[in-house]
Amino acid sequence: MSERSWKSTLGEAIPAPLGEEIDAWEAQIELKKGPGMDDRIFAETRLRRGVYGQRYDNGLRDDGTGQKPLEFPCGDLKKGPDTVFDAPGMQRIKIPYGRITAEQLDVMSDLAEEYSDRILHVTTRQDIQLHFVHVEDTVDMHRRLAACGITTREACGNSVRNVTACQFAGVCNTESFDVTPYADALTQFLLGHPDVQDFGRKFKIAFSGCHGEPCGLVTFHDLGATAVLKDGKRGFQLVVGGGLGAVPVEAKILMDFCPEEELLPVSQAVCRVFARLGEKQSRARARIKFLIQKEGIERFRELVAEERAQLRDDPRWTDFLDTLHGPIENPIRDGGALPEAAPPRFHEWAKTNLRPQVQEGYFVATLTLPLGDISSEQGWLLADLARKYTGDSIRATVEQNLAFRWLSGADAVAFWEALDTMGLAQAGASTINDVTSCPGTDTCKLGISASRGLAGELRKHLTVIRDQLDPAVKPLRIKASGCFNSCGQHHVADLGFLGVSRNVGGRKVPHFNVVLGGQWTENAKSYGMVVGAVPSKNVPQAVELITAKFVADRQEDESFQAFIKRIGKGEVRKLLAPITKPPSYEEDPSYYSDWGDPREYTIGDLGIGECAGEVVPFVEFGIQAAEQQLDQAQDLHDVGEHGKAASQALRSMLTAAQALVRHLGHEVRDEADDIVTLFREHLHDTGLFHDPFAGGKFATYLLKAHAAGDEEFWTGADAEAAHRVIDEARLFVEATHAAYARIGETPQLTPPPAPKASAAAAPAE
Amino acid sequence: MTQTDISRAERVQVKLFASKAAADPHDLVPVFHRWIREAKVPDELLIDVTDYTHVWRGPGILLVGHGVDLYYDLGEDRPGLLFARKRAFEGDLETRLTDALKRALRACADLEEDGLEFSATEVLVRVPDRLHAPNDDDAFTAFVPVLEAAARAVYGAEAVLVIEREEAGTRQPLTARLRVEDAPAVRTLA
Repeated sequence: MSERSWKSTLGEAIPAPLGEEIDAWEAQIELKKGPGMDDRIFAETRLRRGVYGQRYDNGLRDDGTGQKPLEFPCGDLKKGPDTVFDAPGMQRIKIPYGRITAEQLDVMSDLAEEYSDRILHVTTRQDIQLHFVHVEDTVDMHRRLAACGITTREACGNSVRNVTACQFAGVCNTESFDVTPYADALTQFLLGHPDVQDFGRKFKIAFSGCHGEPCGLVTFHDLGATAVLKDGKRGFQLVVGGGLGAVPVEAKILMDFCPEEELLPVSQAVCRVFARLGEKQSRARARIKFLIQKEGIERFRELVAEERAQLRDDPRWTDFLDTLHGPIENPIRDGGALPEAAPPRFHEWAKTNLRPQVQEGYFVATLTLPLGDISSEQGWLLADLARKYTGDSIRATVEQNLAFRWLSGADAVAFWEALDTMGLAQAGASTINDVTSCPGTDTCKLGISASRGLAGELRKHLTVIRDQLDPAVKPLRIKASGCFNSCGQHHVADLGFLGVSRNVGGRKVPHFNVVLGGQWTENAKSYGMVVGAVPSKNVPQAVELITAKFVADRQEDESFQAFIKRIGKGEVRKLLAPITKPPSYEEDPSYYSDWGDPREYTIGDLGIGECAGEVVPFVEFGIQAAEQQLDQAQDLHDVGEHGKAASQALRSMLTAAQALVRHLGHEVRDEADDIVTLFREHLHDTGLFHDPFAGGKFATYLLKAHAAGDEEFWTGADAEAAHRVIDEARLFVEATHAAYARIGETPQLTPPPAPKASAAAAPAE
Repeated sequence: MTQTDISRAERVQVKLFASKAAADPHDLVPVFHRWIREAKVPDELLIDVTDYTHVWRGPGILLVGHGVDLYYDLGEDRPGLLFARKRAFEGDLETRLTDALKRALRACADLEEDGLEFSATEVLVRVPDRLHAPNDDDAFTAFVPVLEAAARAVYGAEAVLVIEREEAGTRQPLTARLRVEDAPAVRTLA
């Protein structure tokens, strides 16, 4: 009897293209366990499947008495430069615009329990992360996710990351229109698109339904799209080059109005410009914001317009528009009014966690998740709750919560009571006790301070005193980041905290920089002011001092942002001065440990971050894929499948040729005719592919095989013909390596033709 | 589902309940960090400690290892020591279960040195491996003799055992509750 496997058990439930990708990932892991795969390429391959590194995965950890080796059983085997193969890592699950079905929540809860630590973590970009996962377990995880419609492809690495959108899209009172189908169309269009494979860094996209509310946060994204109606026509204001990080940058307007039919091609053009001209060598300057700074927004607009003008038409740009105006989700219960008679705790919860939809009788219920975490058990219970009350309408939010849409007012009390039985009926969503945090030193390789530890402490304290807080203080937001990469989005919080380290008396002390007055509204309109650092253990006191001063000294109806601006940095520094210096180690050693970690604080465990990915030119992935196809061809030949073997050998030549053509900057489709035509034009006829000794001999192997017939034709090949074409394919792939080496990582690009006039495509001034 | 299928299940979890719980679950954080320093769990690489006490009836305090994890678990609203075998172990399910029970008892005995107390009379046993051990009647029928054999290897051939099924028909993993009449103290069994 053959052994059961997820692959055979799930069978056709896994869509074929995803199944093939996952099979390839499985093969790559096996290859990595042998001598056959470079650490760098494997790392980027892994990252592009959402399989991330975690703290201590370099095999070293400070146990409080000094750094000690972690002796994993795999020995020297690596899964990336300085990344031990056996070390636990993180699986990021990409959730486009945060939308989760009940079935998906069930499956992710199963995976968390079987392969992780029984926790699902909601991130600030609407992803779900599972921690402490072994790389070999990711294959089955991916299969089980694929069977419920989730791919982890391009969840990390130098690629288009999760496309985020406002969690209220489609049910919101202030939106111009529902951005969900546009976010979905752009997600599907760019996923795996050849034009987004050769970035120097990651690329983040966000959608918002309006300008006024904060939910989409478009202003700090690489590409942000805000819904706009112009004379009744749908379109988007597009902004580019925003980002947080060490120095936050507000995105600049690329187009005031991009008509809906131009959203995908203009986005594609932006990606092509970024891939072509973005920095590749220096990671610190490789995000698109630096390219825009270098070129200037005017020139960048011209570059995008030129690129757009030369794109070949793609039906996907507009196909989705035909199905746009139907309902995205349907309620499963009749709408109704909120009951007047309900427990006082329900009313307290409803004030902050229940928001009326534009559709009469329905509400969005926001579940305040402590530190963005739920257990597997809570996940299963929530999936049942969705099935009973709201249907497949759950959305993860950028504040690390879950929003359940389409809750009938008539069901709200019963829904809340059910939440209460699973520990999730806490009030205060998007208020001061709903503290957001990145993973920090808990699991992140780059974490400097324990942002989660701090957030947990603040949340605990503020939840207890919430009822006593002044009404002006309750709506303030607190966000913490463990390092300058700002994943906790502290720049746009009222009270933001950024992990830093300070030397005191020859010892390291965890601190947080206090960043005040960031603006969350208007899509995170402006960034906070850095006031100075306080010891980690004094941050709760800093929150008390600042909020007390705000209550005491604010002018009538003055916002926190206006207050901080008015009193200025000097006044805040004066306020915090008594708590900025930690006591000596002898007086109080607790200051020399971080929140939730009794070890003496050190930054010796900092690793090399994988946020930046490995800068592996896309061409190398193509050649690697060609080699795998060639190996498969040989395997087929060895078992007597000569026709299939010959066909696969031809495919391997096409894959290698396509990679090289694309490397030269030419748009090339997957069809063999297109590949061969462009290969002939740009590599054969130019002599670029020619071997110094053999001349154009290797190139002719592809040209001859293609001229003889397509891949279908070659399935009729006999053993001798198959043997010959496999040999020729091997030489061709070798020649591709050599040609790539001659051309180099940064080829001389063919300049794009002069732009054609295209009013629709031209970015606004 | 056959005995052969279920014997391939790799992941098992065993939880023993605290009869004297920690005053504050956070008390376990320095204990587990010390266990890492002292390599307290034999034949296991211990890696890190994580705090999930903010999660309702959640994993509590987690000591992460390479092949096994140890939790001061807050599930069922009853604190206890949960031992989870996740990888890196040869043998069939019975061998894994026997090892898990022994190691869980050992860990409980070690925690008793820090003032906690555990009972060996009730053990929650899960098989979080939905491929080889779905939570259905057939799998449970195949599982009972395996668990019984493992329990007898730990508690003795004459022990009076009751094995009950938990959470039938839900998405929970295959779960059994093992009750042992007049079980000795964990230190005796460890």
